[in-house]
Amino acid sequence: MIQTVMGRNALRLAVLVMAGLLVTACGGDNADGEDSDEEARQMLSNPFPSTYEPYPSQPTLITGATIYTGTGELIEDGVIFMRDGRIELVGAADEVDPPRGDIVTIDAEGRFVTPGIIDNHSHLGVYPSPSVRSTSDGNEATSPNTAEVWAEHSVWPQDPGFTRALAGGITSLQILPGSANLFGGRSVSLKNVPSRTVQGMKFPDAPYGMKMACGENPKRVYASSGPSTRMGNMAGYRAAWIRAAEYKDKWDEYLENPAENDAPTRDLQLETLAGALAGEILVHQHCYRADEMANIIDLSKEFGYHVAAFHHVVEGYKVADLMAENDICASVWADWWGFKLEAYDAVPENAALIHAQDGGCTIIHSDSDIGIQRLNQEAAKAMADGNNLGLDIAPEEAMAWITANPAKSMGILDQTGTLEAGKMADVVVWSADPFSVYAQADHVWIDGALMYDRSDDAISPRTDFEIGQLDNETTGGAGQ
Amino acid sequence: MSKFPLSLIAGAITAGLAALTGPAAAEPIAITNAEIHMAGPADNPQVIRNGTVIVNGGRIVAVGANVSPPSNDFRVIDAGGMPVTPGLFAAASALGIVEIGAVSSTNDRSADGDFPLSAALNAADALNTNSAVIPINAAGGVTRAYVTPDPGGKLFGGCGMVIDLSGSDDPVVEPCIAQMVAMGNAGARRSGDTRTGAIAMLRYYLSEAQRYAEQPEDYRYMTNVSDLTIPDLEALGPYVRGEKPMLVEVESAADIRKLLSLKQEFGLELVLISAREAWMVADELALADVPVILNPMANLPSDFETIGATLESAARLHEAGVTIAFYDNDIGYTHNLRALTQLAGNAVANGLPHEAGIAAITAGPAEIWGLDGALGTIQSGKMADLVIWDGDPLEVTSRPSTVIINGEEISRDTRQSALARRYLDLTRGEMPPAYRGQ
Repeated sequence: MIQTVMGRNALRLAVLVMAGLLVTACGGDNADGEDSDEEARQMLSNPFPSTYEPYPSQPTLITGATIYTGTGELIEDGVIFMRDGRIELVGAADEVDPPRGDIVTIDAEGRFVTPGIIDNHSHLGVYPSPSVRSTSDGNEATSPNTAEVWAEHSVWPQDPGFTRALAGGITSLQILPGSANLFGGRSVSLKNVPSRTVQGMKFPDAPYGMKMACGENPKRVYASSGPSTRMGNMAGYRAAWIRAAEYKDKWDEYLENPAENDAPTRDLQLETLAGALAGEILVHQHCYRADEMANIIDLSKEFGYHVAAFHHVVEGYKVADLMAENDICASVWADWWGFKLEAYDAVPENAALIHAQDGGCTIIHSDSDIGIQRLNQEAAKAMADGNNLGLDIAPEEAMAWITANPAKSMGILDQTGTLEAGKMADVVVWSADPFSVYAQADHVWIDGALMYDRSDDAISPRTDFEIGQLDNETTGGAGQ
Repeated sequence: MSKFPLSLIAGAITAGLAALTGPAAAEPIAITNAEIHMAGPADNPQVIRNGTVIVNGGRIVAVGANVSPPSNDFRVIDAGGMPVTPGLFAAASALGIVEIGAVSSTNDRSADGDFPLSAALNAADALNTNSAVIPINAAGGVTRAYVTPDPGGKLFGGCGMVIDLSGSDDPVVEPCIAQMVAMGNAGARRSGDTRTGAIAMLRYYLSEAQRYAEQPEDYRYMTNVSDLTIPDLEALGPYVRGEKPMLVEVESAADIRKLLSLKQEFGLELVLISAREAWMVADELALADVPVILNPMANLPSDFETIGATLESAARLHEAGVTIAFYDNDIGYTHNLRALTQLAGNAVANGLPHEAGIAAITAGPAEIWGLDGALGTIQSGKMADLVIWDGDPLEVTSRPSTVIINGEEISRDTRQSALARRYLDLTRGEMPPAYRGQ
């Protein structure tokens, strides 16, 4: 069994070896060696496994809606049917034959349907509300390389921000460590379901991400101990990747012949970096300036890994061709600018100019507990600015910026991010066109379960932090 | 209805008159076929469909459905049925005193903690009239902004001003309007990390300022009173006499009530900013005629003083009769003032009437800063700050098609639009991009 997995990547191999050792140690005591082996593998390859399970759902048919599929299509008078947590059917009313019988039917005439909105850059839970020193868990700013930390170990599931994001249609999100460090640590992808534990939110089988940061932040934070310059940043990345490549080789070598060799010592930091080199952990890099992104692209080629997405990318419009050629998504704000020098050359047409490149992959991200509540509006602004420049971007195209494209960058596009038969039933019904400032999310389903209903207080989550504070009639709750 | 005594309003307008006269040589303009918003007093805003606005000498000279240009000398701008609003008025910002937040040489919002002066500081002294941030915001439809310093390590930050965004070398409409004060958590942090300290110090400083105003000779041999220098104490004079408002950053309902009792005790004029629980004391604020500048999208319990934060704040305050204006307390505070319309749109989506949403970014700020006689609505006699939009002004997809400040149309070309054009085509040209867009 080990043979079949061997060579896929250092991370998983390292973990399998540990499992092998464990089996050897206790195999004699266990009659059912295979099960124990599998359990041990699971424990070690995935020591904090998702316990998320979809909540109970009813077969639900939505009719009469204008549907943005997330695939670039717009369906007028559309129908969508979901059952057992999955989308079964999407299409125009006159082209599909929806099921009848004991199902919930929602008349959405005059309303709009989109995939659940996805934010690939959030710090909810790691920088939660209330934002006080004791809840500030987003930056392990103690060393420029903290690839060993995992954001999920900081996520506070009781952050009221999750509930507000739900009322904004957010169904999946990536929680990243902050940008103080060259290597900030692992990210985690979550389903936006209230939970007692972070494990209860973890997106099942989503790959891990790793946060890296360019530019001003690391060099400011480590000004006295280094890196204190952009060249210092680059040297820091390269030194770490050299060690990671050696670590990966050591494990690969050992696994060629585990019986003959001693297992190398596990190193949490290098495990994450080796996972990124192996392509199992997706690299998300905070980077503002065009020239720095070009350097990072060369760096990734030097060490043989791929950048899944640049984040912030304020000067992305200057190197949109480079990003498209290298299949790198750009996760941007619609119009934030000027808060630091590397954000001075922002243009509101940035998202649209990146999109306009052949193969361009634009993502609108929030990086904000307020912005995450209305990514639809941010996409609308960016689309309008592009169209004013003559780029002719249709709303159904721009919808991918907050659905399919972030899903792609997080490695979950095969599961969610578009409305297509077979995918997770992560669905939002909007009161109006979501590119209007007046649109509100009326209903939000996650895996087919109705998790938010704007007209029903009973289907609006309220966190432990907020329950019983002030007057429950007027405060707390997702739609607050 | 204004929060200032009538005599003060008159005084302010007279004092500001020089700055409020438009360029006499400006081309007269007639905007026709317009859906005119805020064509009436702020407390009874009218919408005129298929209306005309006549502009001459920097001022609006006529507004109505049955108005036509008096002569052929007027440039006619056909609005094509689209909305026209007063120019947007940013109720609070650091426009012109911050170019880049994290570049300290361009950031004059606040003094370092150990710097001696506070209340005596004046934002107008730091105004960079050539800031690139000004035309970028003007292109977004913002024509006036209140610019305030912040308290550094002190309770007081100094006084702010209203500027126009025309690009003029002398854009100050009214200097030194209100004193910035930190209360709530912000005040406590600067006062021994306790609210008791903040209130005690504020009361002490106000008493001292009163005494100084009456008997300055008592202070002849002193350099300071606790953390306030004598110039600071002198600067507080107009505020303890109730002649000028204090702009107070405060959040919780409890802290706001304490402020209201201080207002009573010292005869203060107050404007609250942020004030995420103000809606919980809305009736008391309306009764005391205290306006609120808020971010209508700030709906998180970001600290224990904002547990009551809600998207319905604006609607509830308006319903109670409190004068409101919008600002972004975060990334949009100075650089992204065009998003004032998004703030208002979200307030409307959460219960505020549409015209009240427009008022909160036009007439509301004009009233709060004592300039409602000259700005904030589209009425005959007012300064001609006008924006023609290509859709509902509060929609996130709408943009200005014409921006007029002081009766003159401004260029909407900015550093941002030049950059976007420069990199529209990334194919290798004869010469590098640096040669494009000269």
